[in-house]
Amino acid sequence: MTRRTVDIPVGRGAEMGMDARPAMGPLAPVDVAEPDIGSEEMLINIGPQHPATHGVLRLICELDGETVVSVTPHIGYLHSSFEKLGEYRTYNQIVPLTDRMDYLAPLIYNCAYAMAVEKLMGIEVTERCKVVRVVCLELDRIFSHLLWLGTTAIDVGAFTPFLYAFQERERIYQLHEELTGARITTSATRVGGMMSDLPPGWAEGVREFIDTFPRTLNEIDALLTTNAIHQGRTMNIGAIGPEDAVDCGFTGPNLRASGVDYDVRKDRPYYDYETYDFEVPVGENGDCYDRYLVRMEEMRQSVAILHQALDRLPDGPINVEDPRISLPSKTDCMSDMESMIHHFKLIMDGIDAPAEDCYFSVEGSKGELGMYLVGDGGPKPVRWRIRPPSFVNLSAIAKLAEGHLVADLIMINASLDIVLGEIDR
Amino acid sequence: MPASATVEALRAAFPNAVVRDLVQSGDQQVVYIDPGSNAEVLDWLRTDPGERFNLLVDVTAVDYGDGRPLEVVYQLWSIPHRKALRVKCELPLSRLAITSVTALWSAADWLEREVYDLFGIEFRGHPDLRRILMPENYAEGHPLRKDFPLRGRFSRAEQTRRALSQDLEQYYMPEELEGRGAPQIVPADESPNSAPESQGR
Amino acid sequence: MGLSEKPAERLPVASSPPGGVLGAGTPTFLTTRLDFVVNWARRNSLWPMPFGTACCAIEMMAAAASNFDLARFGMERMSFSPRQADVLICAGRVPYKLAPVLRRIWDQMPQPKWAVSMGACASSGGVFDVYSMVQGIDTIIPVDVYVPGCPPRPEGLIYGLMMIQEKIRQERLSEHGALRAEDPAAVARARADADEVLALSGPFGNSTRQNRVSGPTGSDASDRPDDRIP
Ligand code: SF4
Repeated sequence: MTRRTVDIPVGRGAEMGMDARPAMGPLAPVDVAEPDIGSEEMLINIGPQHPATHGVLRLICELDGETVVSVTPHIGYLHSSFEKLGEYRTYNQIVPLTDRMDYLAPLIYNCAYAMAVEKLMGIEVTERCKVVRVVCLELDRIFSHLLWLGTTAIDVGAFTPFLYAFQERERIYQLHEELTGARITTSATRVGGMMSDLPPGWAEGVREFIDTFPRTLNEIDALLTTNAIHQGRTMNIGAIGPEDAVDCGFTGPNLRASGVDYDVRKDRPYYDYETYDFEVPVGENGDCYDRYLVRMEEMRQSVAILHQALDRLPDGPINVEDPRISLPSKTDCMSDMESMIHHFKLIMDGIDAPAEDCYFSVEGSKGELGMYLVGDGGPKPVRWRIRPPSFVNLSAIAKLAEGHLVADLIMINASLDIVLGEIDR
Repeated sequence: MPASATVEALRAAFPNAVVRDLVQSGDQQVVYIDPGSNAEVLDWLRTDPGERFNLLVDVTAVDYGDGRPLEVVYQLWSIPHRKALRVKCELPLSRLAITSVTALWSAADWLEREVYDLFGIEFRGHPDLRRILMPENYAEGHPLRKDFPLRGRFSRAEQTRRALSQDLEQYYMPEELEGRGAPQIVPADESPNSAPESQGR
Repeated sequence: MGLSEKPAERLPVASSPPGGVLGAGTPTFLTTRLDFVVNWARRNSLWPMPFGTACCAIEMMAAAASNFDLARFGMERMSFSPRQADVLICAGRVPYKLAPVLRRIWDQMPQPKWAVSMGACASSGGVFDVYSMVQGIDTIIPVDVYVPGCPPRPEGLIYGLMMIQEKIRQERLSEHGALRAEDPAAVARARADADEVLALSGPFGNSTRQNRVSGPTGSDASDRPDDRIP
């Protein structure tokens, strides 16, 4: 009989630069008696249709008792061939495909795609459009992190955060709907601007949301951050060091939880992100708990950015005023022959891109989201490639889960924040 | 816009490997290298103290159609020096093989598998080169090639029949890969059978 | 053969000669009352099996969360195990790689069972008329209710589920056998035969004109080399 002492550690909130809050006293170490019994390895199959895999992911686990010896992920169960379909669509027709790829943060994908096309075509969008897109990007960062928070909390056995998080998400759905008419499949951007200007009162709606949202966030925070069960399930689970994290291609919150300060918004700023005042939270241990803390802090920083963006929202046109790129207004179409011709040309032919290639990346909610476009002088791209952040993050799951329990495997998978639509594309 | 310092350094270190360089979309540095020495060049870019491109952002490929060569594209980012570089290798259709860089970055593992799956480019020295997105029994070819029709090569009825005849219990484990050896960098012109199978495995 | 008698093992009430004194198939007071009670119980305790794959699954989750609250319709418990489920909600895209999984889950669900196809992709392939996608899950499994939309709103899903309830309300135990008959040989096979699959999934609307006109590459998308049957 061997004896093993299990230490249940307590919160490290203060180290992470979060508000110090009363931590619970450490729980007494538990003595676990382990009988020595011979065991042989067992294979279990999780997925592809399983509530804990957050989509149609299939994991083949080899177990020794309850310990994971190896994990082999099988993906491709949601391969919808976006990249091939993109080659058959004009640049503006691709926009509706982008939000179907990552349905947890549709506006981020819309904006990233539009930015990449604008970079390829050398279009400079208006000041108002820049700020509006920043609002969209940060709003959907919160949107995506909230879903992650709710579903991950379910995986460690807490159901209440799911309900709280979905209550807040419902308000963002409402904002999406006011902005675009759709709850998830927003398709809000166009090459050279947005689908339409902000509807009246929308900015106030966002302001109201960010004024009240931190309260809910604090409630969820109080439920989880210092909760001994949550800490026991996440601390020192699935830890990865900074060198390994970079080697595995981690980006976004997962990389920053390992202590590498790389954020596209800071390192390769777009849309004047360098002029916004915000911090990039960085963890130390790279375990599930640090990933949780980093995402919680990121939501607070997004709220701060949203406040600044709404304060500086300039007036003026939202689309570039170039008849070869933006659709003319409906009134012009009806009264002015030239506008009507432009309208017709834009709809029927699309916008030509130069025969160059362009890689553009933004800080998505899951990591560096890159769009690689190759144009050929015509209105359809030769190649539209998405650099998928969660695809690369997931590829390290075998490394992370080795030696942990099956229950921890579920937590590790959840903490990577994957979305299968974008992994399989 | 003149070529960046990285390209100058690269030309000095590998005078024969750099084919050409250009600047795209305003400020994006692209350099074409000889596919035979991609691993050495990328290893140098990764480790040279002046470059340190330690984050492999993306590996992908581009097919321009019309029998033109396929391009393998590596997107690199240097976290210490905050700069980006795009490295491309051109592969003629008759010789779709290149050395894998999984030994340099583990991130390349799945990315190269995806390129193999969708374009049929063989990555020599890859520890586990098999289809990743399409089913294992997929027999229609490599979908992102330009000669592949959008709706696939088989009719919908045949595709449905094949789909339902997949074996659901099928899986594979890392042990199967043992014996194939650890990923190693094989010099490009040593593998005799460089043309990959045109159909699925 | 005994297919239509199969449910009788589970429902002894129906094993008396179908119909009543007026002849086979004629409802009697007893059977209509019994139908009513059984259908009432069935339709108010449907357990959905959420087969959620893509964007539509998020709307399904929203329908289950507090604002829309599926539990009001007797769907308190999402049954993640097909063995305990009554309604399959297929929400999202189904690629060919996933098709056998969908079929197996359907086969694993016990009778009586119903299927809801949620969203354009599940019902018809949606915008994805491409090499990897099933063009409508009704080629794979029988579907009772199609909910249109991309994605349907949670209200839409709830309306679809209420239509399932309505469908159950109108069922008769005497027709149970015919309604629930399923050929055991169909297990793990597509519901539709080859001709029906071709008819259901032929390109239509905008997708007949999908091509790459731009640039020098003239690959014809609708070009279909002869099917290869190995
Ligand atoms: S119907 Fe629309 S929302 Fe639903 S899965 Fe398909 S693309 Fe996504």
